[in-house]
Amino acid sequence: MRSDPLGRHMRHALYCVAVGLFCGIVLVWSSPFLWMLVASFRPDSFGAAGMASLWPDFTPTLEHFGYALEDGDFPLWYLNTLILVSGTLVVQLITVTMAGYTFARLTFRGKDLLFAIFLFQLMLAPPVLIVPNLTTLVKLGLYDSLIGVMAPYWGSAFGIFLMRQVFRTIPRDFEEAAIIDGCAWWQVLIHVLIPLAKPGLLAFSVVSVVFHWNEFLWPLMVINDPSKQVLTVGLVSFALGAEGASDWGLIAAGTLLVTAPLFIAFVLFQRQFVNSFMFSGVK
Amino acid sequence: MRIERLISGIAALAVSTALATTVLAAERIEFMFPAPVQGKLSREMQKLVKEFNTSQSDVEVVGVFTGSYDDTKIKSQASAEAGKPPAVVLMSANFATELAMNDLIVPMGELAGTANVDTEAFMSEFWPAVRPNAYFNGTLYSIPFQNSTPILYYNKDHFAEAGIKKAPETWGEWVDAAKKLTKADGERWGLMMPSNYDYNGWLVQALTMSNGGQFYNPAYPGEIYYDHASTKGALKFWRDLAQEYKVMPTGVTDSKQVSTSFFTGKTSMIVLSTGALSFVRENAKFAYDVAFLPRNVRNAVPIGGASLVSFKGTTPEQKKAAWTFISWLTAPDKIGHWSRFTGYFSPRQTAYDLPEMKQFIAANPDALRAVEQLRYSQPWIATYNTVGVRKAVEDQMQALLSDAGLSVDEAAAKAQKDADELMQPYIEKTAGALIN
Repeated sequence: MRSDPLGRHMRHALYCVAVGLFCGIVLVWSSPFLWMLVASFRPDSFGAAGMASLWPDFTPTLEHFGYALEDGDFPLWYLNTLILVSGTLVVQLITVTMAGYTFARLTFRGKDLLFAIFLFQLMLAPPVLIVPNLTTLVKLGLYDSLIGVMAPYWGSAFGIFLMRQVFRTIPRDFEEAAIIDGCAWWQVLIHVLIPLAKPGLLAFSVVSVVFHWNEFLWPLMVINDPSKQVLTVGLVSFALGAEGASDWGLIAAGTLLVTAPLFIAFVLFQRQFVNSFMFSGVK
Repeated sequence: MRIERLISGIAALAVSTALATTVLAAERIEFMFPAPVQGKLSREMQKLVKEFNTSQSDVEVVGVFTGSYDDTKIKSQASAEAGKPPAVVLMSANFATELAMNDLIVPMGELAGTANVDTEAFMSEFWPAVRPNAYFNGTLYSIPFQNSTPILYYNKDHFAEAGIKKAPETWGEWVDAAKKLTKADGERWGLMMPSNYDYNGWLVQALTMSNGGQFYNPAYPGEIYYDHASTKGALKFWRDLAQEYKVMPTGVTDSKQVSTSFFTGKTSMIVLSTGALSFVRENAKFAYDVAFLPRNVRNAVPIGGASLVSFKGTTPEQKKAAWTFISWLTAPDKIGHWSRFTGYFSPRQTAYDLPEMKQFIAANPDALRAVEQLRYSQPWIATYNTVGVRKAVEDQMQALLSDAGLSVDEAAAKAQKDADELMQPYIEKTAGALIN
């Protein structure tokens, strides 16, 4: 009885330490983002005395956003990025579902070898593939088009691997019941397996969207026409200074504009995202 | 019978329309350009491209923004290999040697020949200092467009406060001034220089040249002089500024940090490209001035900036179109306009004879200093595998700035060894072998 209050104190202290620790980690993780937020509204962007400070000690200004919107063709870049991201995802969802199902359920000769070849794709460093992929695009007439940016990603090794694992966790009983009820294989896939695999598909979608939204090098390589430019390349076109220039306010405002849609989407659908990741085991 | 006639008539019509469209349509070429000093210049470049397109109807140029200097090289090379060679690329001035060596770009004579222009006469209008980087083995491969040299920017208010009368001219004066300007505990640094990749190698070369050295062999791209007295002296000098005299922060300093801390008054002197001149002029809220890079043995600086090149594999029509664009872009009034807008000096000497340029120089005497320094300018490092060879010394310079225990001898020997290994394949094919 006497040791219990002490134990409760200890537990309370531990709890406080843990909370403090987590707050510290959150602060470290979020400080670049917070700094960007503060800097984008700071009036003097070339270095007022407190320009490194995270504390907004000024009257906020929208002028950097004004410059960023004037400098960059943001509506066009948003549209192109949206087309790129959704075009990639829609085809990917179809291919990874079918291929994942094939590797999880069907039996045929050379299946394991074929799967190993798919996995091998994960080990290649993307820059190695720039020239071969560009050559293929030129031959297919897809150079300098958004479809050309999407095409190499349509067969995602990561997605196929993920969906194979997801399908394998679904008990066969469901399928067998559906087959007894007279379903063809594709009806089983559409009505039974896909609804059960939804969290896995959602998790893959998040990874895919974030990756393609942020990708820089490949769109830079494929796209020449300014009317097909995407956000990341567009942002660099006015934020990059080769010989020492540093317009921090403009860079921060532009970066905020680029990341905002993903950020807002994440905040809105946070619960669904986290649940889907918990379920699928992706971290 | 009638149907046949109809068909042949349609066919003839189709052929003639096709011909007509090929005759009438402007030759479409791509112009790839990197981000120079500052983002707003990319916009200005697109404006220039538009102005060119509306000024005539034979050629239509598509301006393609291609990121940093290094990204520009990767992208243009990749598209050339994939079968879409860009007709005009604004390329870091010292990459032309390597591209020519690897047979990737076209001699300028081939382009100029389409308009019966003699390249030698054309190049004679350019400053002598910018010419060597444009040639490889005696053949012209690039046309200089925007050039720069490293220059010393200083805060006049700080100089007055510290009682310094004039800008330092020698390394000794430079160290004295920096010591007087430095305030304890990092409150204010006397001097800052960018030591990030690319800038770093350029400044090591500048210090080596000021120390009497030549840095590399401009006649043979398989030789670099890192483990030599002049380079070692330069490495030691830069190291000592940070580690010994403590007038400069230790570790790697990015060029953005350098300009930002100059504007905030956290540093009194900086070394940056003359290409940043307009940027400094617009943003320094105090009296500043520019001066030659101080000398130890002699006044000497390397050229920097970018030149126009054209990749192999384009059609004769595209070559002709490329030359039309290049000659328009490098005409004295256009190249002069670009120089005033950016701060780069105009590599075309004749641009300075134009009235608007004379007016501008009179109003901004700091722009003249960059031009005056041209008398002491020499070509920029260009070897086999330029980027790798340059990084060999940059890695060591960065290590010297970060690690007080590293000796200059060790660092120079390591840089030399790494660079020599990188150039070995070229040496084996040239100086190390019998060439038939």
